[in-house]
Amino acid sequence: MAAPNIPNLNTLRRGRGRGRGGPSRAEGSHGARSLGQDRVVQGTDNDASVSRLSAVELGYLHDPYATPLTAPENATRRFPIINRGTYVRTTAIDQLVGRFLESPSQGDSKQTKQIISLGAGSDTRVFRLLASRPRSSLVYHELDFAVNTITKIRAIRSTPLLQQALGIESSSQDVTVSEAGDELHTPSYHIYPLDLRSLATCSAPSDLLPRVDPTLPTLLISECCLIYLSPTEAEQVVSFFTERLFAPPSNPPDAQNATTQGSKITAPIGLILYEPIRPDDPFGRTMVSNLATRGIQLQTLHKYSSLEAQRSRLREHGFTSGQAVADIEFIWDRWVPEDEKERVSRLEFLDEMEEWQLLARHYCIAWGWREGEDTIAFNGWTALQAQPGN
Amino acid sequence: MSDLDRAIEQLRACRLIPESQVRELCYKARELLIEEGNVVSVDAPVTICGDIHGQFHDLMELFRVGGDVPDTNYLFMGDFVDRGFYSLESFLLLLCLKVRYPDRITLIRGNHESRQITTVYGFYDECIRKYGSANVWRYCCEVFDYLALGAIVLGASSELEPTGPSLSDTTQSTISFDDGELKTEVLNSHGEVTMSSYRPRMRSSSDTSTDSRISPPRDISAGTSQTGPPLRTGAPGTGASSDGNGSASNSRTGAVLCVHGGLSPLIDSVDKIRLIDRKQEVPHEGAMCDLLWSDPDEIEGWGLSPRGAGFLFGGDIVKQFNHLNGLSLVARAHQLVMEGYKEMFDGGIVTVWSAPNYCYRCGNVAAILELGEDTSNGGTIARSNGEYGRSNGAMGQDMTTVVSPGRRYRVFEAAAQDTRGMPAKKPVADYFL
Repeated sequence: MAAPNIPNLNTLRRGRGRGRGGPSRAEGSHGARSLGQDRVVQGTDNDASVSRLSAVELGYLHDPYATPLTAPENATRRFPIINRGTYVRTTAIDQLVGRFLESPSQGDSKQTKQIISLGAGSDTRVFRLLASRPRSSLVYHELDFAVNTITKIRAIRSTPLLQQALGIESSSQDVTVSEAGDELHTPSYHIYPLDLRSLATCSAPSDLLPRVDPTLPTLLISECCLIYLSPTEAEQVVSFFTERLFAPPSNPPDAQNATTQGSKITAPIGLILYEPIRPDDPFGRTMVSNLATRGIQLQTLHKYSSLEAQRSRLREHGFTSGQAVADIEFIWDRWVPEDEKERVSRLEFLDEMEEWQLLARHYCIAWGWREGEDTIAFNGWTALQAQPGN
Repeated sequence: MSDLDRAIEQLRACRLIPESQVRELCYKARELLIEEGNVVSVDAPVTICGDIHGQFHDLMELFRVGGDVPDTNYLFMGDFVDRGFYSLESFLLLLCLKVRYPDRITLIRGNHESRQITTVYGFYDECIRKYGSANVWRYCCEVFDYLALGAIVLGASSELEPTGPSLSDTTQSTISFDDGELKTEVLNSHGEVTMSSYRPRMRSSSDTSTDSRISPPRDISAGTSQTGPPLRTGAPGTGASSDGNGSASNSRTGAVLCVHGGLSPLIDSVDKIRLIDRKQEVPHEGAMCDLLWSDPDEIEGWGLSPRGAGFLFGGDIVKQFNHLNGLSLVARAHQLVMEGYKEMFDGGIVTVWSAPNYCYRCGNVAAILELGEDTSNGGTIARSNGEYGRSNGAMGQDMTTVVSPGRRYRVFEAAAQDTRGMPAKKPVADYFL
């Protein structure tokens, strides 16, 4: 039956392509990463901002800050499933952030909260948050490679809309920008040019991020960021905050001791992770090998490959008050209200239902938190529907 | 060599033909398609294919696995364009083959063969990119409007010929041919059998019918004539003819309806499809839209489709539709299935998906479905033809004996893209990063 005159191209593929994803699985390749690979990771921010702008322009998201933070030559219209995924990811994290900021923290007189965004890149969330609430209620920190922070700071300096959102359009005395243009400080917004891997090896945590207040209720966000680090580095980055910068809750026998000394306040701290999962099915394997051809290695993907692995990761990091996870398909199904689903469905034909499900099952949001000894800040998260199982 | 043959050769090498030639081709194709009814009749043997979506190199792999045109008789169930990077090359090649070998290839319309969808999912952009204007897109869309909405496959054999001697050897040791007819067979791209299933042989002992069909003696050597015309998957061979009595049941292989999407609550008979005025853009609702957009689902009756067009339909709907129309099977495409094909509702409907590693991202395999020719009646086959009036009369008692056709699935993987001098763009699939 087969047509012998048509060449079987698959007989020629062996040896060339098969091993492509190979090195990415090798644990312990950290440290050996080249500058080129860093550049590839830095470039992933472009994917995110282009997708964001596409979703904004088609009406999925309302975000006036997407345009000034996306390089205009890169703007392109994404396929409907990508737009829907961007919508779900963004609104789900917005919801977690909103619940953290809005639930009044018990036992905290200042009522100021703090967000630390890892590998923030061109993210617009800080502008949306600061534009819509009293600025004194929130301090927002962003950490990223200098290449990315320079781009962002340049955009802020040249865009009145961004300055207005930050409340810095008239009071230039409140703003400091480093000479290199890679570091920015305003009363409620800080950008640090920082290779996250330097956190892992840093000896004096509070010197590295002096403006982070370890007594404030704090939310860490890693939106597809830690996954590019080696498993050890990724772990060390989270521990930098949960164990070193922010005092971990003392053991019960020491509790009295600690409070009498008054030196340490254990502030509530939470973590939101957004990253790919399930690398071991056909879609996942294809994803790993496709990204590998772009030089992108999802280094922790195999370690945190399932919903359960993400939950236990949060547990092991000491987020003892709660750990939860849900994939993007679950969140679309259960978190997005029906009328909103209808609105979004009407924006574009989404013909590819099966592909949507495949794609959406391979990304998850995980959230975990530990309350302080005297302060409760994450009440708002307890009501969110998490996904059981693996 | 004619211009058309030259165009075919060029497109097979994944090189485009000039705009003027596209225009001429589309004109000829329209002249041809306008003569076709909404539901085209196709005689078995035929190889049924699902979505292609511009994955040109995989279409070449499909032809390699399934046989070339015109050696193999093909039926493509739509979605030739969008998503992949070679919608133009894929569709224009299929169209050339259609014009060159009109009786050896049937193209029916998918929901992506539409102006509105192609502007969202890539074909429009590809035309602009490759031809510098929307002219070619316009020519193609005019052809889309003339594509048939469905096809009826007639004369398919209920029993498969075992594929090769190796299979016969292994099979005979485990199951006797007298005990069952080979009903389904799955082959990988190397032609190796990976799965086969049998149905109990129908006995004609209770058959009181006077036109009891005894298989005429057949050329035993036909089964081994692999070098001959390669079309005869259902060619008579030892399996069937060794048991003349057994296979001469009164069962008939019902017709097979092929549509891109599925059924419609507005369509209860194949004849109703024939009444649609199809020469238009795919409407947002109505029977024509449903045929191209609907999906089977594990529900009862009809349900709303999450796609925003068409409906979901359950097993009861399929059973009833098949029964009323003398059909044994609905073959459709439209939904990605990771294994390439998926039978549902006791084999009453099958999804065939022919785009491996869909969008260069999904990691799925693809499949094509071969239906063999029923030669048990010496060529004059008493067949259910899916035509409302004629087949209805005998249906009352007879329906229970309509047998589904033997199905041979050939499963294949994505073609390597960057070999043999075919131009290939490194596929860049979007992810959320």
